[in-house]
Amino acid sequence: MLEALSFFSNSLIASALLSVAVAIIGSLMLVNRYNYLAAAIAHGSYGGIGLAIYFGLPILLGATLFALILALVLAYITLKESRHDILISLLWAVGMSVGIIFVDLTPGYHTDLLAYLFGDILMVPSTDLIYMGAVDLLLVLFITLFYHHLLAIAYDREFAILRGVRVGFLHTTTLLMVALTIVMSIRSIGLILVIALFSVPPYIAEKFTSSFRSMMMLSGIIALGLFVLGLWIAYLFDISASASIILCAGALFLITYHKGRR
Amino acid sequence: MPSVAVDIRHLSFRYDEEYVLEDITAQIYDREYIAIIGPNGGGKSTLLKLILGLLRPTKGEILIYGQPPEKKRTIIGYLPQNINFNLDIPLTAKTIILQGRLSRNKLFYDPQDYEALESVAHKLKISHLLHTKISHLSGGERQKVLLARALVTEPKLLVLDEPTASVDLGAQKEIYAILKELDMTKIVVSHDINIILEGVDRVFYINRKLFIHDNIELKITPREGHFCEMELFEELKRSCDA
Ligand SMILES: Nc1ncnc2c1ncn2[C@@H]1O[C@H](COP(=O)(O)OP(=O)(O)O)[C@@H](O)[C@H]1O
Ligand SMILES: [Mg+2]
Repeated sequence: MLEALSFFSNSLIASALLSVAVAIIGSLMLVNRYNYLAAAIAHGSYGGIGLAIYFGLPILLGATLFALILALVLAYITLKESRHDILISLLWAVGMSVGIIFVDLTPGYHTDLLAYLFGDILMVPSTDLIYMGAVDLLLVLFITLFYHHLLAIAYDREFAILRGVRVGFLHTTTLLMVALTIVMSIRSIGLILVIALFSVPPYIAEKFTSSFRSMMMLSGIIALGLFVLGLWIAYLFDISASASIILCAGALFLITYHKGRR
Repeated sequence: MPSVAVDIRHLSFRYDEEYVLEDITAQIYDREYIAIIGPNGGGKSTLLKLILGLLRPTKGEILIYGQPPEKKRTIIGYLPQNINFNLDIPLTAKTIILQGRLSRNKLFYDPQDYEALESVAHKLKISHLLHTKISHLSGGERQKVLLARALVTEPKLLVLDEPTASVDLGAQKEIYAILKELDMTKIVVSHDINIILEGVDRVFYINRKLFIHDNIELKITPREGHFCEMELFEELKRSCDA
């Protein structure tokens, strides 16, 4: 047990840091119905990974810049364009294609790309933990400052506009935060699994709470529970930790599916 | 002569190619109570959004107490139509009512905001509901909460879009009784013509064009000329019964 704990120490810290992000960004994604947008940022930011590999830049830097730009473009499109669904799907695919092509163009590059698509929480380097901590700090600051405004937008956007809430600014900033959150999850959860992880805990928490604050709290607790359980199962059976965590999320989703439905 | 609260001049509006509202001219006076009726899709909600400045006129203009709507938002209270789509978000009535107190630079609530909350909740007799989750409220209670959110800033102009849709008869009567007592300019879209006619100063019938129906004298002056007074009134009622 102790042996296992020390083996998991980085992954446990990563799990705790990710749980904070799930609590805040996952909840905001759910109440604003940003899941599709977040998925587009997640998949599209593979382009940043490809570019970073090709130009020999740190992966985190490449992915961060690319994901932030993608988030800005998506924010602009969703604010200005009425037929934005098509453009979102296009950006999603174009981003991934950029990644694939630049990895192909990189001479002698054979690293397993699956690592970025599905992640490996057991291999999170300590430098990533600092990145995660910094993003968490930004998220906490963001939600603390703009709690009431963000909630007003989520509940009734037009009314928020009437009250003078900066809807465009907060919509854009939320998507930028989503982008940072996705990048911080790449190495541990991967681009493909990240959306499920960020959706399930808030979805469950929403049914059992009566304020957005408690919804965020409960999401964080559920996420942390899923991480610990998933890691434990992965350790016991020597299987992929990310996949185990997501399977736990899926199972919990099914168990609670009929609870609290109107 | 009272001052003009809402001045609508030759207003036309279209979302796409087809005009939803065409050449509408009307003045709404300070402290007047206006009921807007008309068939579904006739453009009632669109007109309200133009008055609020959420939409811009394609032609013509609207002034609120002499200024463009965007400049007057702080004095307007609004209750939108069909706000029940976001019931899943865990919010209490209190949180929703307080949202009426937000403004561009107000990020946190202060004691005055909580006082305003208490007083509007008391006035609408919903103090006992403040800590109830919005999804657990009945239709009538929810509409009263949204009315409270519109009133919590003590607006000069109140704009309500079907405040009694999906509300039981008892709550409907209660809401209209409250409205009748409020001392401000009121514009209310409603299908409940029988109830709304009491206390209302004028009725606007909107179906792409505007027909103003002076409620006191029951004198109707259709712009297109092929309606006689009774026909128009029957038409008003028919469209509301449907
Ligand atoms: N956002 C929109 N985009 C395009 N058409 C719209 C939009 N909102 C309303 N419409 C159309 O405008 C017309 C008037 O709608 P609306 O103002 O909601 O009518 P009412 O409130 O009287 O039922 C309808 O034909 C409706 O389909
Ligand atoms: Mg309408």
